[in-house]
Amino acid sequence: MAVVILPGLLAAEAGGQKRFELTATTLREALSALPVADLLLDERGDVRSLVHVYVDGERAQDLAVPLVASAQVRIVAAIAGG
Amino acid sequence: MQLLVGTRKGFFSVRGDDERRSFDVAGPYLTGWTINHAIADPRDGALYACTNNWVYGGTVHRSEDGGETWERTEGLGLPEDSELKLASTWHLEPGHPSQPGTLWLGGEPGVLFRSDDSGATWEVNRGVLEHPTRDRWQPGAGGLICHSITLDPTNADRLWIGISAAGVFRTEDGGATWQPANTGTEACFLPDDPFPEVGQCVHKLLAHPGRPDRLWQQNHCGIYRSDDGGEAWERLDENGVPSPFGFALALDPNDPDAAWVIPEEGAENRVTCNGRIGIYSTRDAGASWKLQIAQEPAWAAVLREGMSWDDRAVYAGTQSGFVYALCDGEIVEAARHLPPVLSVEAAPLQ
Repeated sequence: MAVVILPGLLAAEAGGQKRFELTATTLREALSALPVADLLLDERGDVRSLVHVYVDGERAQDLAVPLVASAQVRIVAAIAGG
Repeated sequence: MQLLVGTRKGFFSVRGDDERRSFDVAGPYLTGWTINHAIADPRDGALYACTNNWVYGGTVHRSEDGGETWERTEGLGLPEDSELKLASTWHLEPGHPSQPGTLWLGGEPGVLFRSDDSGATWEVNRGVLEHPTRDRWQPGAGGLICHSITLDPTNADRLWIGISAAGVFRTEDGGATWQPANTGTEACFLPDDPFPEVGQCVHKLLAHPGRPDRLWQQNHCGIYRSDDGGEAWERLDENGVPSPFGFALALDPNDPDAAWVIPEEGAENRVTCNGRIGIYSTRDAGASWKLQIAQEPAWAAVLREGMSWDDRAVYAGTQSGFVYALCDGEIVEAARHLPPVLSVEAAPLQ
């Protein structure tokens, strides 16, 4: 199963759950299965511009990328604010 | 009573006694979110907040326990055929008393939503989304935002919205169609046509709850009042306020001739006038204005949602993190050192 790890604000929105184990064949399928999918993806299904997604340590630009069963997906918010 | 205070960094409940002399701050809640506006629905006591995050976008949260816990609206967005995407949420308004569960939501880019299930789902208003004048709308400093939604309590089909910088629009058919209602209001930043049909930069629009044909607006280019539901507007800021520019506006539910404003120096210097937080009030429908000073010296700002009222007092929250109550002629500090205050709404304590 792929593992998805959320940052703090998204984990709070997911009822306090930070780590999700999912069966998904693509990155889009994994993100869409999360209870915070609407915060990661906009109404067109595009990844929001300041949401960065890493698969096994590599920045993923394409949601169609296949996921291996052991994949670890990390959601990282762009550094911004003040 | 409580003040629902939206800030750049979370939501606070500021709870006051009956005399509006003593206040306690509870919170923050919804940490990590920027709260452009928060309201209590008088029909069921639920709280709603326009929640925004620079990474995760704009949405709405709802609380049934006075703000301790919140649930998010999922899937809020604009239809694909619009070729627009929702950028942020700005204003929530409970629907007409005859429509329990109905709420209105304003957002960016100049869009209006309606919910008929207490905020669980929202439907975009096509009349605003596809308005024939949309190509003449342009964003103000805060974006192209629908920030004011004000209802006629005597007629569920009649309401007004304010969009910066598109102006005021009125519907008489529950939102199916919208007519511009800007006659007499100036777009002073347009050198060629300062009185266009649309394009005015309304900053805050309110209908008086007891006399809904009487509308007030604080505009980029003046303070205005209409006595005919927005057919025509009369300018009021040449009667003793130090600047035509400002955002905050409050009314008295028992007196349609009363209003409060907090003018700012101008569009290029958005701080309160004359180095103080000056609250100007009228009791004669804008014929004259009286100053009360909340803080001096001070160079603050009170934003469009930063002023509210109930039947005892008027309240104002500043971008410098202070909240004031103006009650029986006295100004009381209700909260200090909050994050920058974006919105204040007075409500009964749940």
